[in-house]
Amino acid sequence: MTLSSRLPSGSAFLVRFALMAVTLLLIAPAVLSDFRLSLLAKFLCFAIVALGIGLAWGQGGMLVLGQGLFFGLGGYCMGMHMKLAEAGSGQLPDFMTWSGVEKLPALWEPFRSAWFAVPAAIVVPMIIAAILGTAVFRQRIRGAYFAILSQALAGAFVIVLIGNQGLTGGTNGLTNFQEFFGLSLGDAHDEQILYYIVAVILLLVFLATRSLVNSRYGRLLIAVRDHEDRVRFLGYDPSRVKLIAYVLAAGMAGLAGALFVPVVGIISPALLGIVPSIEMVIWVALGGRTALAWAATGAVAVNWAKTSISEQFPSSWLYLQGLLFVIVILFLPDGLGGGVAHLKRLAGRISLRGSRPVGAAAATPSEEAG
Amino acid sequence: MSESQTPHVRPEPLVVQLVIRKLVVAFEAFHAVDGVDVTLCEQEVRFVIGPNGAGKTTLIDAITGMVRPRSGSIEFEGKELVGETEHGVVRAGIGRTFQAASVFDELSVVENVDIAASFRLPFRSLIRRRKGMSDSVAEALESVRLLDHAEAAAGSLSHGQKQWLEIAMVLVQQPRLLLLDEPVAGMTEKERLRTGELITAIAEQGTTVMVVEHDMDFVRRFAHKVTVLHEGKVLTEGAVAEVQQDETVREVYLGRPRDARGAAEVVA
Repeated sequence: MTLSSRLPSGSAFLVRFALMAVTLLLIAPAVLSDFRLSLLAKFLCFAIVALGIGLAWGQGGMLVLGQGLFFGLGGYCMGMHMKLAEAGSGQLPDFMTWSGVEKLPALWEPFRSAWFAVPAAIVVPMIIAAILGTAVFRQRIRGAYFAILSQALAGAFVIVLIGNQGLTGGTNGLTNFQEFFGLSLGDAHDEQILYYIVAVILLLVFLATRSLVNSRYGRLLIAVRDHEDRVRFLGYDPSRVKLIAYVLAAGMAGLAGALFVPVVGIISPALLGIVPSIEMVIWVALGGRTALAWAATGAVAVNWAKTSISEQFPSSWLYLQGLLFVIVILFLPDGLGGGVAHLKRLAGRISLRGSRPVGAAAATPSEEAG
Repeated sequence: MSESQTPHVRPEPLVVQLVIRKLVVAFEAFHAVDGVDVTLCEQEVRFVIGPNGAGKTTLIDAITGMVRPRSGSIEFEGKELVGETEHGVVRAGIGRTFQAASVFDELSVVENVDIAASFRLPFRSLIRRRKGMSDSVAEALESVRLLDHAEAAAGSLSHGQKQWLEIAMVLVQQPRLLLLDEPVAGMTEKERLRTGELITAIAEQGTTVMVVEHDMDFVRRFAHKVTVLHEGKVLTEGAVAEVQQDETVREVYLGRPRDARGAAEVVA
């Protein structure tokens, strides 16, 4: 944020974006094995969630501790469609037969159509977020209360999913997917295509989010984050400003969930409860919440580390993750991105404005003369 | 009350703009504003003075929807403001500043003024990137002499500059009524003078201005008409010179030791 506003023009950004695109679209498929590439596709889905968190939390100050809810809604929308498409017309998805369900539940019916299911994967989370957000922001619920509330909702969602075995597949979730819009999910070549789809969508979502962050609305969102009550006296309704970012973040999580299902081949309650939701925020905190690119990088880096380290030392990841989180909070409050920006600043000329003196200046007493 | 004028002010316009009737703002048992009646005419500059705790800021808070009055009415251009949201009051045409200047430190000076200026834009314009500086933003920055600092982070400004930035943010919204809460608190002598001139200029351009002020010297120099609040009630109202002669006003400022600060200013 502060970094990009410092740059003389958009050209530096274009160079960085081109590098990112080349890495994702040319280098990664060339150097990574099929297995690793498919893992990367999964991480890129997480990066889309992270972009949403970067928007809502990094820019808007809303600690969204329950993005698993929206990720799950998107995932289930897509999963239901894939299940029905595979079962064929008139047939029930496999798990329903096992649970003794004889007639397709009405909730499932519209998901036969891809024209319904694919938009629903994005729109349903947005609608839910809009309803929640309207209620919560109107009441001026924020900070820790907002965080706890959003987390509780992710928890409640899991309970609902597990409690409705016949409707949702219960604890197992939806799995055993064979194909995705004609792509065979066991086939290396088709999985590569899937990777490209995810990578391109990530880049597009990144561009769109970035342009929003750089718009007047983006400035307003920062203003609301730092001084919500002051924004009211500029004639804006801060609850609406926040709602937009919150709803968009939910849409991104839903989109990510929808892509995750074909990439990984499963959607289940274990992937979207309280703990996974917190992990999503940790990715962003580690990467750097105030810069979108770093938020996304955090998601990929943390998950990459998790996989590689778990392969070597199966049970140590949890401790390491905790340690990393503590280190970042203590020494890099703005995450990796903040650390890098800080180093750049030190290396270059010494800036007048660090991240901390700003807050100190705001606390200057107003009435020293009297 | 009196229609008499100090020599440096133009004739008082008579279109009534703001009518406050029997306003009571209470925090539990404490009545911060206790039955205040105030009428403001268009293009008037009204100073509201009074010792600490007189209810000056609470009065502004009530007008802008920040606190809910227990009873009474606030009518602005014929529209009842009691019960209106804070942003609704702003959209009705009333702008305010705060005692402790509150600007958005992370944003640049021009961005601060730009988002203030954009409050009536439709959403599709809000999601566009700001291109350069609009004339009205430049004008507002020029009027508070911050044009040279446009690209600086607002957090890097001096205290007085932040207060001016806040004034620029309200000015650019072109309110018809401007409420300034101790605009010169903490300012240097030079800054006070400039601020006073600025307030006069704002009024001359057709904006009604209501200034809550502590600094009596400043009030003497720039006030047109003064309302004196004391313990939540209007003590007296009138031209500066007149009010200054008023025995009760002198007593309020001089008589009680806890108001030593106000007293010192009256004497100064």
